[in-house]
Amino acid sequence: MSDDERMDMGGDDGDYGEYDPDEVNYEPDEAANGENGDGPDGEIDETMIVESNAPAEGEKQRIGKAAVANEVRVTTPYMTKYERARVLGTRALQISMNAPVLVPVEGETDPLEIALKELAAKKIPLVIRRYLPDNSFEDWKVEELILQE
Amino acid sequence: MFFLRELTHTILLHPSYFGAQLEDYLRQKLYEDVEGTCSGKHGYIISVIHISSIGEGKLLPGTGQARFKTNYTAVVMKPFKGEVVDGRVVNVNKMGFFAMVGPLQVFVSSHLVHADMKFDPNASPQCYRSNDELIQKDTKVRIQIVGCRVEANDIFAIGTIKKDFLGQMREE
Repeated sequence: MSDDERMDMGGDDGDYGEYDPDEVNYEPDEAANGENGDGPDGEIDETMIVESNAPAEGEKQRIGKAAVANEVRVTTPYMTKYERARVLGTRALQISMNAPVLVPVEGETDPLEIALKELAAKKIPLVIRRYLPDNSFEDWKVEELILQE
Repeated sequence: MFFLRELTHTILLHPSYFGAQLEDYLRQKLYEDVEGTCSGKHGYIISVIHISSIGEGKLLPGTGQARFKTNYTAVVMKPFKGEVVDGRVVNVNKMGFFAMVGPLQVFVSSHLVHADMKFDPNASPQCYRSNDELIQKDTKVRIQIVGCRVEANDIFAIGTIKKDFLGQMREE
């Protein structure tokens, strides 16, 4: 349903538990910082950033306020299908290049399958940087975005 | 002359290092990459003394690698015209002699030594000799830099000992 970057909460179905999408905008990130996943191969303490809709490389350096993420986040708390594809692809590529896997593998060998499993377990250590038309950006951890289906 | 400088270095990190020891590895890689190198702009980077930020990793699309922009403070050495430096002679020939001032190579032409110093090709090792001074390999010398040639990744200097208080240094 929400495959664009605008707020799109049609309120069609209430099966997201007690999660209120409105609240996410005002939550500080502190809660999420301490509890990064401890997978079988040790934990990843640094998260990497995947850029969506990034301005071209080689543009002038971002300094001052333009270099920090927006404090109040207004974009959708749902992961779009494009973000999902990008995150899975990026993570599968990393896993295929020997990155430590953060979920217990039960015989899977396909990196994309492992990436899917990590995504389901909310263990993907990536941050999505959503660029807005005014050139500011928001950082969303993959683990805090709501998955659909 | 030595300076403390704020510098940046970009590290590309392969996914196989994305583990708990990621920061340790980045620090180690920074030391390995940077210490002992020379750039014409900053001079010789002698030692990293402080890493102010290791930066957040940005993933490069398509390659799976992460790029970290680290900021660090380092001791750099940059020679200047007119600076007086102490060095050790490494090579003597009839054109002059070469001395190493730490990582910097300084050439002193035979025209820029005292007039009474003569090249002695028959001595072993070859040396420059005057009544009271002897310059051969491993002699400690005090040199004034008269010019620098700065290349992208190297610096060479030309020196003189044709002034008072320059030349061989005696260890008392």
